[in-house]
Amino acid sequence: MSKSLMQSPLHHFDLAKQAVKPDGRHGVWAGELPLAGYIALRGDSATPAFVEAASSALGVPLPVTPCTLAQSGAVKVAWISPDEWLVVCPREKLGATIAALERALEGIRSQVVDNSGGYTQVLLTGANASDVLAHCTVYDIAHLDPGKVVGTTFGKSATLLHRQDRGFCLIFRRSFADYLWRFMVRAATPYGFGVALREDASAAERETA
Amino acid sequence: MFLLSCPHCGEKREEEEFAYGGEAFIARPADPETLDDEGWGDYLFKRKNTKGWHWEMWGHQTGCRKFFIVKRNTASHAIAGSWTLAEGRKAYDAEGGAA
Repeated sequence: MSKSLMQSPLHHFDLAKQAVKPDGRHGVWAGELPLAGYIALRGDSATPAFVEAASSALGVPLPVTPCTLAQSGAVKVAWISPDEWLVVCPREKLGATIAALERALEGIRSQVVDNSGGYTQVLLTGANASDVLAHCTVYDIAHLDPGKVVGTTFGKSATLLHRQDRGFCLIFRRSFADYLWRFMVRAATPYGFGVALREDASAAERETA
Repeated sequence: MFLLSCPHCGEKREEEEFAYGGEAFIARPADPETLDDEGWGDYLFKRKNTKGWHWEMWGHQTGCRKFFIVKRNTASHAIAGSWTLAEGRKAYDAEGGAA
């Protein structure tokens, strides 16, 4: 059997080859963030025992307020619905995070699923980043405050969207990655589009951490 | 296009984020096995098709992915309110089960 290999859903664009350090010559810069661990967490936010157990396992209070994001170090917890959250953590922390959640939630009605193969993230920056999102999504970007995460339509697909650093982080399905990337590049090209160096993207992620 | 208020997200969002879920509160027959074809056909296909106030379901497909209840005027697109399924049922019953 061949060795299984995890690769980015955008690998066929060979982004690393086109990537340059972002500067002022383009209005929009985008780069894929390094592959991360994605955990789907489900449970009832109205059950205090569940919220407490999940919060202690994650090391960050579970965001029970609709459309909010909780962040601690490199771990990001996004509210998706009253009974669903998406936990994003570095890949090396994935196993430990799942184990901690499963241990803490034992006996409590809940579900913890490793969804790491299912998502990727893109960081969109630059002076015209919000203009591009206005073209692609239906959400009123002016109302997207820091710490807020919304699920919205992106072209004919969907994405989770929140502010990160001076730009926007898009968390979307691997199966739609090709479509979303092409759609975004097409919307961004009139403003000048550049692929941001992945080192910058990951450095930006560490900055927030 | 109109804006719908999602009771789960607590925000008004564009219609494009939602999917229409059809007429609300259609009770599934308790015992489909004993139902005749006409009765089953009515359950599957017959709708009120109201012109005016209509209780319907919408799914927040690209947001929280939950279904909820909307009371909408099919003639004017005026929206009287949106509720979670349980709260919507109460509001619907309070009106006597019909618009």
